[in-house]
Amino acid sequence: MSVDTPQTMTDGPATVTAAVPRRRGSRRATLIVGCVLLGLVVATALVSYFYLPYPPEQIGGGRLAGPSPTHWLGTDTLGRDLMSQLMIGARIALAAGGGSVLLGGALGIVLGLAAAFAQRWLDDTLAAVLDILIAFPTLLLAMLVVAARGATLSSAIIAIGLAMSAVVARLTRILAKQVLSEQFVVAARTSGTGWLGIIGRHVLPNIWPTLAVNLALQFGLAVLAEASLSYLGLGAPPPNASWGRLLQEAQGTVYTAPIGAIAPGIAIVALVIGANLLADGLRDVFDPARRTR
Amino acid sequence: MHSTSPTHRTVRSLSVIAAVTAAGLMLAGCSSSGSGGSSADATLQVGSIYEPQNLDNTAGGGQGVTEVLNGNVYEALYKLGDDGKVTPLLASKYTTSDDGLTYTFTLRKGVKFHSGDELTSKDVKYSIEKVLAPKSQSARKSDLQVVKSIETPSADTVVVHLKQRSISFVYNLSYVWIIDHTAKNLKTTEDGTGPYTVQSWKHGSAITLQRFKDYWGDAPKTDTVVFNYYKDATAENNALQSGQLDIVTSEQSPDALSQFENNSQFKVNDGNSTTKLLLAFNDKVKPFDNTGVRVAITEAINRKALLKSIWNGYGKVTGSMVPPTDPWYENLSSVYPYDVSKAKSDLAAAGYPNGFSFTLDTPNYDPHPAAAQFIKAALAKIGVTVTINIITPDEWYTKVYQNHDFVATMQEHVNDRDVTWYGNPDFYWGYDNPQVTSLIDQAEQSTTTAQQTAKLKQANEIIVKDAASDWLYLYPQIVVAKSTVKGYPVNGLNSQFYVYDITKG
Repeated sequence: MSVDTPQTMTDGPATVTAAVPRRRGSRRATLIVGCVLLGLVVATALVSYFYLPYPPEQIGGGRLAGPSPTHWLGTDTLGRDLMSQLMIGARIALAAGGGSVLLGGALGIVLGLAAAFAQRWLDDTLAAVLDILIAFPTLLLAMLVVAARGATLSSAIIAIGLAMSAVVARLTRILAKQVLSEQFVVAARTSGTGWLGIIGRHVLPNIWPTLAVNLALQFGLAVLAEASLSYLGLGAPPPNASWGRLLQEAQGTVYTAPIGAIAPGIAIVALVIGANLLADGLRDVFDPARRTR
Repeated sequence: MHSTSPTHRTVRSLSVIAAVTAAGLMLAGCSSSGSGGSSADATLQVGSIYEPQNLDNTAGGGQGVTEVLNGNVYEALYKLGDDGKVTPLLASKYTTSDDGLTYTFTLRKGVKFHSGDELTSKDVKYSIEKVLAPKSQSARKSDLQVVKSIETPSADTVVVHLKQRSISFVYNLSYVWIIDHTAKNLKTTEDGTGPYTVQSWKHGSAITLQRFKDYWGDAPKTDTVVFNYYKDATAENNALQSGQLDIVTSEQSPDALSQFENNSQFKVNDGNSTTKLLLAFNDKVKPFDNTGVRVAITEAINRKALLKSIWNGYGKVTGSMVPPTDPWYENLSSVYPYDVSKAKSDLAAAGYPNGFSFTLDTPNYDPHPAAAQFIKAALAKIGVTVTINIITPDEWYTKVYQNHDFVATMQEHVNDRDVTWYGNPDFYWGYDNPQVTSLIDQAEQSTTTAQQTAKLKQANEIIVKDAASDWLYLYPQIVVAKSTVKGYPVNGLNSQFYVYDITKG
């Protein structure tokens, strides 16, 4: 693993001393690997705006052609280039993850802060509503949104964002309440600072690290949720090359042309693991207790 | 009409599952103790993905009802053969009056139901009326509306009076199972005259057919036939590969076939089905009320390439609604061959030089989404923009089939002899050509089948010329069997699957 681990330290007691550098190194590695995986997907999505091997909907290659120099990942049953579709899929995955985090994050933080600042009865009501919302299955919520708005990417983002906002709001509420009970906030309040000032100067800066870690985790979950929805035909409609839909379409040919399922599968895993590792790494960066241990 | 929708696959109650499990355990116990007597070869193991919902063909049980029971357990007065020909079965002959309005059928003698009752004219009257009953869900109900009254002057004579001439009447009778008029509980039990009886039905798993000892005709070649039901095709193919199955009735994708194609232990049969994949326009609304537009769309879509994408070399492009097993079949795929530049100029001539946009209502199950994407890409080349709207089978039924609230859609039509639907201006696709309606009426009023065939050929040619729909392709009927198995049907006519001539070799 890490280079500074003494090579002779194979037996028990000595690992106690070796543990510190190894942990620090692996922590950094977590952050780096997370950033690299996420960066790869972002780069792929950016490149897709300037360069694609083929137009993604172009029906040209043979049926289920294997990987070759002309089609790096081969083609699907209709003869479309899989690599090009996968690159377009990166945009959709990032849009789904990013859109959901923006929507869910913004809504959740506002709701959470409102609950934290509100009267006792309103706070209790909001908390109860959030608990119910969290208990509501995301997929069912998504089906309701799709039924109302039609199966599009924005429907999926709204559904995932709504589900996410409940989780974020509950976290924000608890964190904000902790901060609000601190002496320095009480002091600021008595000295006449308005609630906006308290949020901006005291609450947000203090709860932000934990929120950021949570949002990074939520990003990964949102990507997974969008892939599931597309797999079920409730996400972006065809021919939008969502990774979930590519998986679904490759299902029937998984024995004859496994790459069609493996490639989008790996892409989804890479992005979700990337987001999770990034969240882990961020937690270590933000958490002073862990950093100095 | 459209094929069985997923909603027909019902969720079974826990009590049934428990009962089936118990029965299964008992059977397992019996078979292990009694397997010494007969040789295993006397049992033919058939694999299918269409488990019936019940055993009654007037109660909406799905296509699996026809597959396992038609011709095997139940017989009709006439039989539709694998080649599409109609031959006498329980009727030995019939005569018609000069005006063609009265049919007198003479029943075969010595026919016994599985319950032991003798076949009489009463049973025939009961069976025809059962299909016509108000609560009957038979897909053939409308075809038999022509029946005015039924008389039974003697035990072996049935006289049917029609409201008008109907040359298809005898053919339509091949769908009317003759059932013992005293039979009860037809959803769970049977009382037919066929070569097999239903010995047991393990819900969710298998139906076992046993040879009927008092059968009037030649004894079936194999004593016991088990229809094994699978939820997914992969499990079914694995069972065939591992030797648990002898034959699979209908493969649904070409991609599992490679494991059988180059293997001398198996035979892959590429037969004709009666299932057509349609790009159906709403011929009553803009822009598809314009024949030129429909022609241009037809020319812009490379049907051969589409078929190759979906079925990888299996299936046929026939260019019309008529499958090869219908007597009035002609291959009309060359009427509007694939030609993008001609499509462009035809579209311009029809008044759309810059193309147009439309929404394609696409059922959410295979092969519709893939085919829709193919169509979208093809039409983009002539400046027509397609928005794919994915819908469930239920939505299709209400939105498209009932309310005609669509511009264009896709659907698989499974029946044979269904080109006559183009004679109904109120059908969902809204095709209304008085000449065609009149020809189809005249065909039904024909005095000879030659005349009927000629009229329907003529009608079909006009329908194709009008590009009423785009008939994308005819599905293959792929039966895979062990190479030692012989005597099975290779064409899929309305999903029927006669097993009585099959030998295991």
